[in-house]
Amino acid sequence: MQIGFSFNVSRCSGCMACVVACQDENDLHGDGLNFRHVTRLEKGQFPAVSMSFLSLACQHCGDAPCMMVCPTGAIYKRDKDGIVDVHQEICVGCHSCALACPFGAPRYLENGKMSKCHFCVARVEDGREPACVRVCPTKALGFGSMDSLSRQKAEKASMFLLEPLMKVSGP
Amino acid sequence: MPEPNLLVIGNGGAAIHALQAARASGHSGPLHLVSDMQGRAFNPMLSPYYLAGKILFDDCFPFGEGFYKKFDITCHLGSPVETLDSANKEVILKGGEKLPYDRCLVATGASPLLPPVPGLRTSNHLFTLRTAEDTILLHDALSETQSALILGASLVGVKVAEILVQRGIKVTIVDIAGQVLPHAAHPECAGILEAHFATKGVELHLSSNLERVEDHGSEAVFHFQGNKTIKADLCLVSTGVRPNLDFLNGSGVEIDQGIIVNHRMRTSVEGLYAAGDVSQGRNLLTGKEEVIGLWGNACYQGRTAGLNMAGQKTSYPGAVPDHISTLFGLTLVHLGNPMHQGNDVTILSNRDLSEGPYRLMAFDKGVLVGANLINGFESAGRLRKAMIRKLNWEEHFGPLTRVPSDQEIAQFLADVPDSLSIPSPPF
Ligand SMILES: Cc1cc2nc3c(=O)[nH]c(=O)nc-3n(C[C@H](O)[C@H](O)[C@H](O)COP(=O)(O)OP(=O)(O)OC[C@H]3O[C@@H](n4cnc5c(N)ncnc54)[C@H](O)[C@@H]3O)c2cc1C
Repeated sequence: MQIGFSFNVSRCSGCMACVVACQDENDLHGDGLNFRHVTRLEKGQFPAVSMSFLSLACQHCGDAPCMMVCPTGAIYKRDKDGIVDVHQEICVGCHSCALACPFGAPRYLENGKMSKCHFCVARVEDGREPACVRVCPTKALGFGSMDSLSRQKAEKASMFLLEPLMKVSGP
Repeated sequence: MPEPNLLVIGNGGAAIHALQAARASGHSGPLHLVSDMQGRAFNPMLSPYYLAGKILFDDCFPFGEGFYKKFDITCHLGSPVETLDSANKEVILKGGEKLPYDRCLVATGASPLLPPVPGLRTSNHLFTLRTAEDTILLHDALSETQSALILGASLVGVKVAEILVQRGIKVTIVDIAGQVLPHAAHPECAGILEAHFATKGVELHLSSNLERVEDHGSEAVFHFQGNKTIKADLCLVSTGVRPNLDFLNGSGVEIDQGIIVNHRMRTSVEGLYAAGDVSQGRNLLTGKEEVIGLWGNACYQGRTAGLNMAGQKTSYPGAVPDHISTLFGLTLVHLGNPMHQGNDVTILSNRDLSEGPYRLMAFDKGVLVGANLINGFESAGRLRKAMIRKLNWEEHFGPLTRVPSDQEIAQFLADVPDSLSIPSPPF
């Protein structure tokens, strides 16, 4: 099974609650140490401008490049849910994953070890939602198994951002 | 039809990923591994962490003891392949043993290149850093070392310099080029690094041409053009590597710098594949076949070779030269060719470090072809994606007059349709 995030760009208001909830859940107090990022997207020229937001964290890729380039085998993928996580005691902090990741997901703790979104693995194991999904007031962020997300997607054409995400995250 | 007999020469990242992929894709026939060394697969890029005291020697062997058993691999360790007879499809080991194959992967990596300087090769003070053995020899010598000369201001050279400085050893870095990291850093970026290394106590001698080395008891004397001499207890040669392919003489396989391979890691000879530092695959930036000696590239190539040898049709489009490492506390990123030249080339940088991390970007007709970052590596992976996809920055930003900010980079790359998929899916 592979779980993934879904994101509905037409619902996101850029409120950053997901970022704050993530920091809080993961005790991220360091400068710029966020696992989730919200990017403002502006399109067009005045007066025909549109603004939208994109909330992005690790995509837990099916064929994760960070895992492939890791020299120690510290980065691994869980069989049961496809979560990509890191054994910090094995990480040497070489930063190879930062260069390999097309989303800019890997971050480094003060001790030099890589750390990134792990899907709030403890919460998910408990049957709860990841912190970012839980707080999202507009329900722009969602999560679930890739199968159920693609079923939902078929039902909701507005989730147009999901498709590229699935390409990455699908097993 | 019986399953083909697969044989892999080498026991590094490329070899291991080939073996693993062949088995995982369902190959149930024989899998042979031949290596000149005893023991498990060593990862050369971990040796600096061992020398720095950050990991144990055992940690330089990232694939566990059980790997070979788990994947049912027949190991022939401790004797190098001396000849590959492609006509009879067999390899001949030192000592004469012959091993037949249906499909063979050459994954023998590369070895340090020693410049032909009189007295260098025979000096008792000479060290290189590639194999497990090199690592132990260097490690053991350090406790007795007070002064070291690093010949070659390459990434390996600078990394080792940092470790030696931390151990209180007096370090001199020498290069024939007029800058440090001549293959990885634009001269402007190199200038910033040189100033930083100097503040850490490193003595730099650039544009220095070594003419002769003489051993004098416990130290060696290095004579340079222009009557300059430097004395040191230890000399690390880090001037580059050359692929290990001597045993291929007479095999008829096409070789340039390395063994030429296509997107399936096949060589010009039937049944023969190559992967990793010994091979010359596609540079996505230039479209030409080049040796790109990187751990990740070796693993991807190995996996591709293993799958194809096992009968799958998968391809690996290639790689761009890139590197990231922390040098004397600064995280340096090198992407593509920051020294790219041409009529339509625009090179932009924010030299003023008070504005944040240093970033130099080289564009050719609006397409990113090279970059150097010092710190601020968060955008590195995204820039790599933009480079591989040959996205046109001018179409988005208009004429480029200054380096885009982090926010602009994030916006630009999120804006592109389907930018959320992996840039170069390996298969
Ligand atoms: C100090 C150092 C730091 C590095 N840092 C980085 C880094 O930060 N990032 C990065 O991407 N890369 C780095 N690299 C490069 C990286 O380690 C290599 O690109 C990678 O290990 C290549 O893997 P390979 O399998 O092709 O070759 P190797 O790991 O060299 O394996 C070759 C294998 O072939 C065997 N062999 C050789 N000749 C024969 C023969 N005739 N018969 C049988 N067996 C033979 C060898 O014993 C070995 O097992 C670094 C390298 C060094 C030395």
